[in-house]
Amino acid sequence: MLRFRNTFTDGVGFDTVLVMLALGYLVVFSAYPLVYNIIMSFQEVDLFSLASFDRPFVGLDNYRDVLGRPEAWTIFLNTVKFVGISVAAQLTIGFGLAMFFQLDFPGNSWLRGLFLAGWIMPALVVGAVWSWILAGDFGVLNHALLSLGLTSERIFWLSDPDMALYSVIIANIWLGVPFNMILLSVGLAGIPEDIYEAAEMDGATRVQRFFTITLPMMRAQLGAVISLGTIFTLQQFDLFAALTQGGPSNASNVFQYWSWQLSFQYYEIGVGSVISVLMILFVILVAAIYVRSTRAEHVA
Amino acid sequence: MTRRYTRYGLCALAILFVAIYLFPLYWMYVTAMKSGTEIFANPPTFWPRDLHWQVGEIWTRLQMDTYLKNSLIIAAGVTVIVCLCGTGCAYVLARVRNRWMDVVLFLVLMMQVLPSSLMITPIFVAFNQVGLMEYPRLSVVLAQAAKVLPLYIVLVRATFLQVPGELEEAALVDGNSRVGAFLTIIAPLARNGILVTGVLIFLQSFGEYVYARSLISQRPLQPATVGLQSFMGPNTSDWSGVMTYSAIYVTPILIIFVLLQRQIVSGLTSGALK
Repeated sequence: MLRFRNTFTDGVGFDTVLVMLALGYLVVFSAYPLVYNIIMSFQEVDLFSLASFDRPFVGLDNYRDVLGRPEAWTIFLNTVKFVGISVAAQLTIGFGLAMFFQLDFPGNSWLRGLFLAGWIMPALVVGAVWSWILAGDFGVLNHALLSLGLTSERIFWLSDPDMALYSVIIANIWLGVPFNMILLSVGLAGIPEDIYEAAEMDGATRVQRFFTITLPMMRAQLGAVISLGTIFTLQQFDLFAALTQGGPSNASNVFQYWSWQLSFQYYEIGVGSVISVLMILFVILVAAIYVRSTRAEHVA
Repeated sequence: MTRRYTRYGLCALAILFVAIYLFPLYWMYVTAMKSGTEIFANPPTFWPRDLHWQVGEIWTRLQMDTYLKNSLIIAAGVTVIVCLCGTGCAYVLARVRNRWMDVVLFLVLMMQVLPSSLMITPIFVAFNQVGLMEYPRLSVVLAQAAKVLPLYIVLVRATFLQVPGELEEAALVDGNSRVGAFLTIIAPLARNGILVTGVLIFLQSFGEYVYARSLISQRPLQPATVGLQSFMGPNTSDWSGVMTYSAIYVTPILIIFVLLQRQIVSGLTSGALK
């Protein structure tokens, strides 16, 4: 009996209990819904069968139904655009700023830290602020563009079907830049100064140094930032809720918002979980690539 | 001499970048202080002509005390659950290296990336079936805790990795049990990291939206994000009011951020790249 107790205070039992506490919680509240989601995607689930455990299985009907809808293709392309443009722009701006703040001037690390003020804000509030900045008639962005002569007429960012998606992308880039910048700064700080000095003595130009030293040395960080950026972008929901609600007529809708709409606005829960399952599979794939690549880096 | 000038020039440029980036925050505060007619002035005024203070009016008219109280309850509940369940796991993951722990770490990292807007569908149905929807705020706390627990584990694990293992061995030689060594030696040394990560988790949950919107239908139980969304509606023109609401909501967050800026930055960078 004493030995039994001792494993919990001293031995493997202690570790196991601590790990199981967290893992158990995650199994109940994350893993179980994950599995349940997959089951529901093969069932007919609506408001009436919500509470019952005995729902009819319909095979792949939900999948066929939702992927065959005319809006599915538009929303797919929107999702690709949303992720692609957001991640590319966040990375470019974040990398540029990270390199700039790597220069030696007074207050550089403190000023760099101020960028995170954007990251810490609730995304829904960020969406509210941006929907006021982007407002068609009295928005300050239109005013700035008009007075700089960049456009000749007001752009109705949120209600113009051609612009709605881009207005969400703009707000999302704003949210993501600080995180990219901070992570890339860590990588930049890790590159030894003498490599640059040696290259400079050998006559390498600034551009050459960037492409032959900075980029290759940053490979791991860039990989991490791109996959994390993709993951965070696919989690973005609040900005859609605050800015466009996916409209006008799905012009700015993406899969993660559509899935929620199907389940909570149209109560087609079975169909909503199909989208959810497909998206989660994709997110997990990206995450697995990220984890593997950071692992490989440690072993090497 | 020129070197010094370039350094100050760069500093000025950096301030310009920060100013451009933080313009939306500035615009929120300025709009909040303008009157209902001045916000529609053309050209827009970049400093309010006459200060129009409506914090008190918005606070009472929209019953922001209820909303913010609910946000606080949710954030506090999530933080307590996450700290209780996650700290020990983070510690073990930092100390013990074997195949099992690698599997656990991998699972935790995978759970970290699940988007709330996709998990809410099964969570909603499952909570409905077990009757948790009777307690909507508790449902949000439980779901949100599962969402942020992995992040907490990853960040706190990075803190524990920095505590030298020799200290623990010394404590064990001195006759401490593992539990004793953890509670009296290791946890206090990692206190700062745990605290900062706890604050991050708290702030994230303070701004949580998806779960609250989907699980809480009674207005008196909704948090401030849901309140803001219903205040904005699809066609609001009371932007001065919306910005006042936003400013009241985020000012405490920004104050905490300014106070803890250095620790938050270092906590984030150590965790995300390990």
